[in-house]
Amino acid sequence: MSATLKQGLTADTVRELSEARDEPEWLLDRRLEALEALEELDLPDVIQTPGRRWTNLTDLKFEQLVDPLNQSDETERVTAEGVEVLDFETALEEHEELLREEFGSTLDPQSNYLTALSAALFTTGTLIYVPEGVDAEDVKIRTEMRSDSLFSHTLVVTEESASVTILEAIDDEGPTADDEGRYFSNLVEVAAGANSNVQFGSLQNLSEDAYCYTLKHGAATDDATVDWIEGNFGTQITRSDVETELNGEGSESQIVGAFFGHEDQHFDVNARVWHNAEHTTADLVTRGVLDDTARSVYEGVQDVGRDAWDTSSYQRENTLMLSDDSEADASPKLIIKNHDTEASHSATVGQVDQQDLFYMTSRGISPEQARNMLVEGFFVPVLEEIAVEEFRDDVEELVQERLRN
Amino acid sequence: MSSDQDHLQQTDTEERFDFKKDSKAAYAAEKGLTEETIHAISDDKDEPDWMRERRLRALEQFQAMPMPTDWPGQPDLSELDIDEIVPYVRPDIETRGGVDDWTDLPDEIKDTFDKLGIPEAEKNALSGVGAQYESEVVYQNMQERWEEKGVVFCNMDEAVQEHEELVKEHFMTNCVPPSDNKFAALHGAIWSGGSFVYVPEDVTVEMPVQAYFRMNSEGMGQFEHTLIIAEENSEVHYIEGCSAPKYSAFNLHSGGVEVFVGEDAHVQYSTVQNWSKNTYNLNTKRALVEQEGRMEWISGSMGSKATMLYPSTVLKGRGASDNHITIAFAGEGQDIDTGAKVYHNAPNTKSTIESKSISKDGGRTNYRGLVHIADGAENSSTAVECDALMFDNESTSDTMPYMEINESKVDVAHEATVGKIGDEDIFYLQTRGLDDDDAKQMIVSGFIEPITEELPIEYAVELNRLVELEMEGSLG
Repeated sequence: MSATLKQGLTADTVRELSEARDEPEWLLDRRLEALEALEELDLPDVIQTPGRRWTNLTDLKFEQLVDPLNQSDETERVTAEGVEVLDFETALEEHEELLREEFGSTLDPQSNYLTALSAALFTTGTLIYVPEGVDAEDVKIRTEMRSDSLFSHTLVVTEESASVTILEAIDDEGPTADDEGRYFSNLVEVAAGANSNVQFGSLQNLSEDAYCYTLKHGAATDDATVDWIEGNFGTQITRSDVETELNGEGSESQIVGAFFGHEDQHFDVNARVWHNAEHTTADLVTRGVLDDTARSVYEGVQDVGRDAWDTSSYQRENTLMLSDDSEADASPKLIIKNHDTEASHSATVGQVDQQDLFYMTSRGISPEQARNMLVEGFFVPVLEEIAVEEFRDDVEELVQERLRN
Repeated sequence: MSSDQDHLQQTDTEERFDFKKDSKAAYAAEKGLTEETIHAISDDKDEPDWMRERRLRALEQFQAMPMPTDWPGQPDLSELDIDEIVPYVRPDIETRGGVDDWTDLPDEIKDTFDKLGIPEAEKNALSGVGAQYESEVVYQNMQERWEEKGVVFCNMDEAVQEHEELVKEHFMTNCVPPSDNKFAALHGAIWSGGSFVYVPEDVTVEMPVQAYFRMNSEGMGQFEHTLIIAEENSEVHYIEGCSAPKYSAFNLHSGGVEVFVGEDAHVQYSTVQNWSKNTYNLNTKRALVEQEGRMEWISGSMGSKATMLYPSTVLKGRGASDNHITIAFAGEGQDIDTGAKVYHNAPNTKSTIESKSISKDGGRTNYRGLVHIADGAENSSTAVECDALMFDNESTSDTMPYMEINESKVDVAHEATVGKIGDEDIFYLQTRGLDDDDAKQMIVSGFIEPITEELPIEYAVELNRLVELEMEGSLG
């Protein structure tokens, strides 16, 4: 084990959490299994190049922050016709069998130390269940964090030919009084049935003394589509992993990322896709802007398996740097085991185009306004991929807000 | 088109590279590695104390460092047993340190290099040539007109004696220190042979100098060191070729290359390696480039069981530039893990990396690259382009670039594509009367053309021949 928690994290703590929620035995058992696994597990892998580790996860001071029994949040859940959007306690009452079957089915809670910790301690959670053939838009989960630490679990299950767009947003009440920060952990799993379609958007705007860890993992069956949009604006350190396994023939995934860091923010953003079946398609698009001494770390992985005939896989990552003191690290990786593949990736890092800037200022726009317009324009290719209008507006607003500061 | 090309085309290339000789060593170190081995090598070479001490320190570092095992997707080194490798073999000739007339070489060695085409190459276009057999350089020649200008091209053992101050200052001090990695440390401990090239200020060596390395003994290691010092405003092109026949035991090649590119100087380093498919090829190659200097790496990696090689360039001075051109071909049982590293440590520095790889019959190629742009390296630009061609579904091709950008006024671009050989292209060529194999060969030749056209003609021809043989599956 590579990190130690504050005292008090014992099987009894976990039992207390579980009992307070009147959970069935099987769920308690899974929490306890995750707790037990902590001893064996390491923090998530981070990229290392000669002489350095790109993200120092030991800087996540979660061991001081984790307070399992004092978790509190205010969550608003907006459902759509035909879809069940239930908090975990209600879901346990109404869909226990489904939960028992699907919880932890796509996302292994023992992936690493932080996932196991989350699986053992989560107190808030949502089940989104979309029955066969239902076509639903604008499901929303808006959570405000009200404690020093919060562990959340979201499970999305779509049946055959169902379709849903989901927006999950997290923020908090502002910086903590003692400057100690907060720790938010979120696991999201999507089990997409045949020919179903899921777009899951996530917007993180926690205060800037917070830390965030999130792992989002989807599994797509035949002809299913799992699309992710990951927007990161808040926190001092965010580690975000968004992953899709394309397990069914003809399945597709798009992973769209946007981040905007300033001051000393650090984003470690990862997008991964596994092509495990024939005729699968993936498109990974990430755009980020960095100002002041902010830093971004990006890893993108396109893994084409031996059986993934006729694969199309694309990846782009572009970072715009507004300050000399910022840093952008990127590693877009291709791992190809089937030759019947069209795959490409590209990454660029640069500053605001000086010619564009000159052109705009020569038309009477102030340099600052011109720069801001170019930054907003930079995010357009990402914004265009967002199906939920409210989500798109939120991201645009956050970009503008950051530019005003 | 030179007579070289004729020579290369007429000779059966397989025979050229894959013949073996009875190995008769005058002195072979014991298998494995101890302080005694170091003393034996150092005594045998009558080295100054400082070199002996550097070797011993490197040995300590080698022993202290763990084997690299946790790189994502790295080649499997578990079968590599350093204790089973013979680190030092001196061939049985009286001409230690190298003869300067080809006819003075013992027939056996002469025959070896004849088959490889070395004398032909020298006759035709080179400023100088050196040939290393096992651990020692056996032939060394530099054309007089370059010697008169103060150009030095000699074997590294000799350089330690004859150019002690230069070597003492540059040898594994700040370019490739033994602490760099486990195999650099191993190299520092037991290096032997290799080339020393010194080009004085304002001298341009118009024709390439060439060194050829060959491993002939079973289960041996070859650890040649190449040190190139190009003073201000000088220019030189160094070419290295390597081969080893196939043996049942594993060979280890762990060379070290250090290049110092002075202000406004230009160094091109080209290599085509075709180690046999039981060789572990684990090298460290690095160039330090001063203001407005230019470094060019051109590498073809064909042979070996496993290669881990990432030639790197440190752009130290304002306006320094670097070009990397690499091609890797992995056939059955091969794992070629190669790429490029560039550190932009000064403003206005530029680099380009062009990498092509081909994998076939279960081979694995990987591009592993690092581009680092330091804070303050403003107006720097880098462009990385990797293309992989896969022949079949047993093969694997990966791309793992790392980019660390600490400066905003930069232009960084990375692009990679992977694809199979186009069925339509093959069909088109077949309708023009080519058979399937010829069509594939033609497509591959076209794919690697951007690289072969950068090579001197004899290497381009050799590379093309090697690729053809790989495609036929008849090599090694």
